[in-house]
Amino acid sequence: MLLEVVSEALKLIIFAGLALAGILAILIWRKDRKTKVSCLRFFVQAVATTAFFFIFSYTAQLLIILVVIFALSIFLGRFFCGWLCPFGLYLDLVTAVRKALKIRYWNLPDKVNKFLNKLRYVLLLFFIALPFILERIEPWQWSLAKFLMGPFKPISVLLGPVEPLVVPWESSLKLYGMNLSYPYASIIAFYSGENLAIITISIFIGLTLASSFAVRRFWCRFCPTGVSFAVLNRFKIFQRIPLLRLNKVEEKCTKCGICKRVCPAQVTDVYEEKGGDITTSMCMLCLRCIEMCPYEDCLKLNMAGKTLFRSRNWLEPSKIE
Amino acid sequence: MRCGTTGSSNKKYGIEISQKEAEELRNAIRATSIKVMEEYIERMKKTWPNRPEAMQYFYDVAKFFGTREREIQKAKEEGRKVIGYTCMFTPIELILAADAIPVRVSSGFYDPVKLGNRIVPVEVCPVVRSTIGVEMIGLSPYLELSDALITPLTCDGMTKLSEILSDRKPVWILHPPRLKDSDQSMFFWIEELRTLKAKIERLTGTRIIAKKLKAAIEVMHKATRAFRRLQEIRKGAPVIMGRDAMLVNQTSMWDDIERWTRKTEELCNELEKRIQEKAWACPPETPRVMIAGSPTIWPDNWKLPNIIEEASPQGVIVADELCSGDRFLFDPVGVDEWTMNDMFKAVAERYLLPSTCPCFTSEDGNKDRVNWLTARIKERQVDGVIYHVFRGCMLYAMEYMRIKRVLEKINVPVYYLDTDYTREDVGQIKTRVEAFLEMLKSRAEF
Repeated sequence: MLLEVVSEALKLIIFAGLALAGILAILIWRKDRKTKVSCLRFFVQAVATTAFFFIFSYTAQLLIILVVIFALSIFLGRFFCGWLCPFGLYLDLVTAVRKALKIRYWNLPDKVNKFLNKLRYVLLLFFIALPFILERIEPWQWSLAKFLMGPFKPISVLLGPVEPLVVPWESSLKLYGMNLSYPYASIIAFYSGENLAIITISIFIGLTLASSFAVRRFWCRFCPTGVSFAVLNRFKIFQRIPLLRLNKVEEKCTKCGICKRVCPAQVTDVYEEKGGDITTSMCMLCLRCIEMCPYEDCLKLNMAGKTLFRSRNWLEPSKIE
Repeated sequence: MRCGTTGSSNKKYGIEISQKEAEELRNAIRATSIKVMEEYIERMKKTWPNRPEAMQYFYDVAKFFGTREREIQKAKEEGRKVIGYTCMFTPIELILAADAIPVRVSSGFYDPVKLGNRIVPVEVCPVVRSTIGVEMIGLSPYLELSDALITPLTCDGMTKLSEILSDRKPVWILHPPRLKDSDQSMFFWIEELRTLKAKIERLTGTRIIAKKLKAAIEVMHKATRAFRRLQEIRKGAPVIMGRDAMLVNQTSMWDDIERWTRKTEELCNELEKRIQEKAWACPPETPRVMIAGSPTIWPDNWKLPNIIEEASPQGVIVADELCSGDRFLFDPVGVDEWTMNDMFKAVAERYLLPSTCPCFTSEDGNKDRVNWLTARIKERQVDGVIYHVFRGCMLYAMEYMRIKRVLEKINVPVYYLDTDYTREDVGQIKTRVEAFLEMLKSRAEF
């Protein structure tokens, strides 16, 4: 009983600390809003991760989360992927470790990247359609089929990336009585059966971390959750709705290629497009390109016509407003 | 000082000249150049009498045969290497990272052109002819002092210049691709720079490691920052004459870059104070002119800037689109992660992609250059563009129509001015420029 209270208190302290950090970051940002978006993004990601952790511990209504995320993505596009997604945070942390070790990253060839971009729609379709098909053929026997039919389980495939590291329910990875988890781990565990769970989860963890160590944000390029937002934005009705838009001024762009190189998702459209609205479904709105663009007002983040953030000559120390 | 060796040898182009003749010519041309430089500086001072004190430093550096020459000589004696380059495509960061001194050696001297005519036909671009002439008699101290030359193959003139110069000096030919916007070009260019890096390392005996390259990139960032700050100041009403700003830009090509940065920042501080005091260098309603096209190189080829700013009605150069001017340090190297791989890529991209040199070709008609020009014209409120082309500078001349059509659309008059490395057409050019400025003035009044 006492232990439970202590652990709850600890959780609250962590949460409060993270929230404070977030508020501080926003304060710094407001004063000096043209620098360090990446830092701010880390803060927001941390806060969001904690928030998801709490949501998972207190509510079983996971469908509500899904609905909220979808509603958010209708209005903000893939903002979720860049700024809120816990799995994204883990991958970014891997990148941070790699940066600290001064090890290079590899780029996927553009063709492969474009292919993955197309493939993710197929993957999503596959995830959604397969359970229906398999149900007809042979109901609920084959574990692989069970793995794929996520949408009917408490944690669906689409909620995979928001799964916290410590879960309130019984999981197959246990450490000192804590139930450890990892994005998609419970789905994999559930469908691969008791005996194989630890092995399959470890393989999955190893693969995702190693791949994103070499290639930045590798998972995000074909993540089913991410692509579901993209699918939403494919429809004409939804195309106009997202409020966050990347804009480029053609004249000011010298095509120096920095935006292309710094993009963790290897989006080439920011570089290649002529100008105007350059938001694509590949873009996670991490704003790294705007941050690194050395030309004043060339790239902008617009929200409903109002410019939130713009590129600047980052050689100059920014003036505190 | 080394000069021509007599007697037949296995020189490819035979840029040979008897020792006596070389010496005589060198002394004569040197004396004229010193006089010309001093005269030009005096004329610049006359047009803008209440100049900031910080400008004096740049005049001192601008005098070719002086302190900077001795400084480089001393550094050479201490074991540092000097690497000359003829074109903006040379990655200065790599040279700095190897502890070598970068100097730009494309020549602006008028008189050696006649010597160059002995080797190449008169139709060739005068920069190339002048550089050959300078090399024949050993006139330019920086060309003489450099241990190796990096010659990017941009235009036809530069392509053969690298061969001709290789008669005298080790020449490292750098080959920028003619198409920027493709993966294979970038791959090729990066490999090209890797080869160059190995050559630099072999010459200097210093390995270019990540730490050194990072330091070099940061040095250049500071320089770019100062450079862009100066260009920012030129946006508003003129507090600095265009010629002086151009001279500041050009001195960065042979000066010690860190000292140059410091001095430019000082100059900018002073100029910013002047903006607040509204102490303009010339009346704010003076027609604002931009020079586009072939580079104007100090010392002798200061003809056009001199004419524009001394004409009546006077014009002021608020912008230029020259590879010896506003474009030189404009783009920073944007490094994402400080790993060797990313830094090297960033350096390679910085020298290839943002370049608006007409030696590139693309389906959209060098749209990058058009964008660069229109953006600059809008932000600096340019009234008219003078399109400066050397006789023999094919690429710039051929792009004129493209630029003209674009500028007509945004209602900016453009004037085509072709000239050569000669003092004979000063009067004629003056009349033409004055007519253009008169027109700009009446347009403004209208």
